[in-house]
Amino acid sequence: MPPAYPNVQIHKEEWDRRLHDVQISKSDLNRLIMDYLVIEGYKSAAEEFAQEASVVPEVDFESIESRMKVREALQRGDVEGAIVRVNELNPEILDNNRALFFHLQQQRLIEYIRQGRVAEALQFAQDELAQLGEHSPEFLSELERTMSLLAFDHSSSMPSSIGDLLSPAQRMKTAGEVNAAILESLSQGKEVKLVQLVKLLSWGQSTLQEHASFPKMTLDDETVLGSSP
Amino acid sequence: MNTEAGTKPTLSDNEEDSSVSPPPSRPAVISIASPDEVMKLPTRWSYESRSSLLSLSENGRELSFQGQNCNGDRDAAAARSIQPIPPACGIYYYEVEIHSKGQKAHISVGFAGPDVKPSRLPGWEPSSWGYHGDDGCSFAAERHGTPYGPTFGLGDVVGCGIDFSTNRAFFTKNGTYLGSVFENVGKYTPIHPAVGLQHVGESVKVNFGHEKFLFDIDYYVLQERQKTWARIMSRPLDPTLFRSPAMSDGTAGDVEPLLPEVSEEQSKHTINKLVLSYLAHHGYVKTMKAFQNQTRNTSEETPSSPPSFDDDVEMDGIIGPSTPPLSTNAFEADIESRTQIVNCVLAGDIDAALAKTRQHYPSALDAEEGVMFVKLRCRKFVELVLESAELEKKMKAVASKEASKEEDHMGMMDVDGDGDSMVSESVIANGSARMSGYDPERSSGITELQVVTRQYEAALNSALAYGQSLDNDFKITHNLAIKNIFTQTFAILSVSDPLSAGGSITEVAGYNARVQLANELNQAILRSQGRPSNPALEMMYRQTAVCLLHLGLSQVGAAAFANMQKELLDA
Repeated sequence: MPPAYPNVQIHKEEWDRRLHDVQISKSDLNRLIMDYLVIEGYKSAAEEFAQEASVVPEVDFESIESRMKVREALQRGDVEGAIVRVNELNPEILDNNRALFFHLQQQRLIEYIRQGRVAEALQFAQDELAQLGEHSPEFLSELERTMSLLAFDHSSSMPSSIGDLLSPAQRMKTAGEVNAAILESLSQGKEVKLVQLVKLLSWGQSTLQEHASFPKMTLDDETVLGSSP
Repeated sequence: MNTEAGTKPTLSDNEEDSSVSPPPSRPAVISIASPDEVMKLPTRWSYESRSSLLSLSENGRELSFQGQNCNGDRDAAAARSIQPIPPACGIYYYEVEIHSKGQKAHISVGFAGPDVKPSRLPGWEPSSWGYHGDDGCSFAAERHGTPYGPTFGLGDVVGCGIDFSTNRAFFTKNGTYLGSVFENVGKYTPIHPAVGLQHVGESVKVNFGHEKFLFDIDYYVLQERQKTWARIMSRPLDPTLFRSPAMSDGTAGDVEPLLPEVSEEQSKHTINKLVLSYLAHHGYVKTMKAFQNQTRNTSEETPSSPPSFDDDVEMDGIIGPSTPPLSTNAFEADIESRTQIVNCVLAGDIDAALAKTRQHYPSALDAEEGVMFVKLRCRKFVELVLESAELEKKMKAVASKEASKEEDHMGMMDVDGDGDSMVSESVIANGSARMSGYDPERSSGITELQVVTRQYEAALNSALAYGQSLDNDFKITHNLAIKNIFTQTFAILSVSDPLSAGGSITEVAGYNARVQLANELNQAILRSQGRPSNPALEMMYRQTAVCLLHLGLSQVGAAAFANMQKELLDA
């Protein structure tokens, strides 16, 4: 059966009129910005923004600071430091979240391997990670994947599925997971609203494309940075 | 057919209103915000398209079977609602109360397209779906049903729902959810709520939202909305979203080469730039500097990030390749002067704003026949009028104070008025009269009233003189927009206190007008520099909202669940 609603063309004039009619205020947008600055941990920017735009954030700035110290530690590769800081914030965060704890320990193993501390890596895997792996097949396969880093020297022969563990993205991933867990423990939103907006735009445009043609927006540098008219 | 006027999904609880069908009071829908589309919902059974074996009550809600029992699985008497269900409502739900002789009613409850014969039960014909009371089976265009739920009959309330984000239906019996059923419901044709009856003594009474439902539809909708939102949020980002349109070859979407997935880093990088350009646009200089410092530090800590994102140089300037390169200093100087100009307007110092704009961005004032220049000069006039109105108020206050002092001296004053306001007015009138003919010899030196009066007169004169010069400069214009601005501006002279007069006069005079003008001037300056007048972040929000609006109009049910306001702004 043919779809009842055929592909239609939405003209630029109509589209622009609708764009213009959307109700959105500067203070709404300012709140989206503040949400981003707070959750992503841009503490000094958030403080300046509270002043300049008179937006009141729903958190105290100190909690941003401590979250960021955890993140910075992880990005430096200082997993132990990060764990100490998380426990200082709230020991229940790691107690209640086995997956998070495993991922932190896995990151610690990765950092040993990165530094070439093979003996310590093996010892640590046997003492700390093996027992965590026993409880979950998922943890076990992650552990195996991490251990296989030892089978390669740091060369191009490494398959990317394994080599990725050494990438900065892996540190970011772990740091993001910890950040979300801390935010949750502070009963604060953990999903950045601007990220959600980007996702909604992506879904909205690609879904609408199945029904109609319309002026699409892209987020290329020129558009985003406002240099094109 | 559907001759009744459409009704908005707002509610009157007056269910006895039979001439105009009452719109449901608790519509089981989430409406999308659309200023020019009214969502019409089913409100009653259609008299014209029902089977003649059914009698319809005056309020359009009760159907009863009249005449000979229908024969098994060949004949029936069906009816459907006057309006089809608008898919943009997301989830639609209605309930039917069953009256029959026994516990197994020969009744079908469900949905039907506009062309289904009224002599057949919903579920027998193509484009119809039904849940049957005698055997508890579900029927989708078939003679033999599929076991689905319990049978239903006398006294039962059967609910029937459709979720347009999945095009699946569900039923409830006496408030209990029976599960999701059918595929592609309402995907190819509009659908109506529909029922079919077969036996004498059977009747149904429908609740299209006129009364509270037995089933907790609000909670169900909330859950579905969360599921839909989660589904949208878990979709991978469209890689073409991050590419300049110039980079794609302009061919149709399906031959587009496969682009790699968008990494989290990449989207975060884009968001950082969105934030940065937003801050720059509105002149939040300190925030911007702090943000730049922090993002730069972070990127230095991960030196091995892919080279395409390693663009400190670009971040410094935040100016893309197509505009003349500005150094960081020039860039900050630009934000600085725009911020100063905006603040001047906000403070009401229009002369300073004009001078600075003339100095740094002369073309912003001259664009579009100088409309910005006109607006600023008009605002200057408004500020002068406001100043004189303020002094007038002060003058009256001083006058009444002095008058009451005098009153004390002279004892009771003879006042005709009987209300307080009358008293004060007449005092002021006396005060002013006395003022003009005041003999300076009588008092020692100059009174406060005299000072204020002189100030007021001076302010009024300079306002009027400025108005004159405006009028002289622009009376020959043929530009309608500019003429309009003048008319609106000069209207403030018609009242003594523009700020409290209300209506359009106060709109022109009030602080919000300054804010708006400051914003317009900022945009005009940006345009004159060849830059967009709205920050990309704002355009992104608007684009998303319009996409959702059109998805709703294109009958994509999921759009009703993607409520930007709720998800992004209210929380």
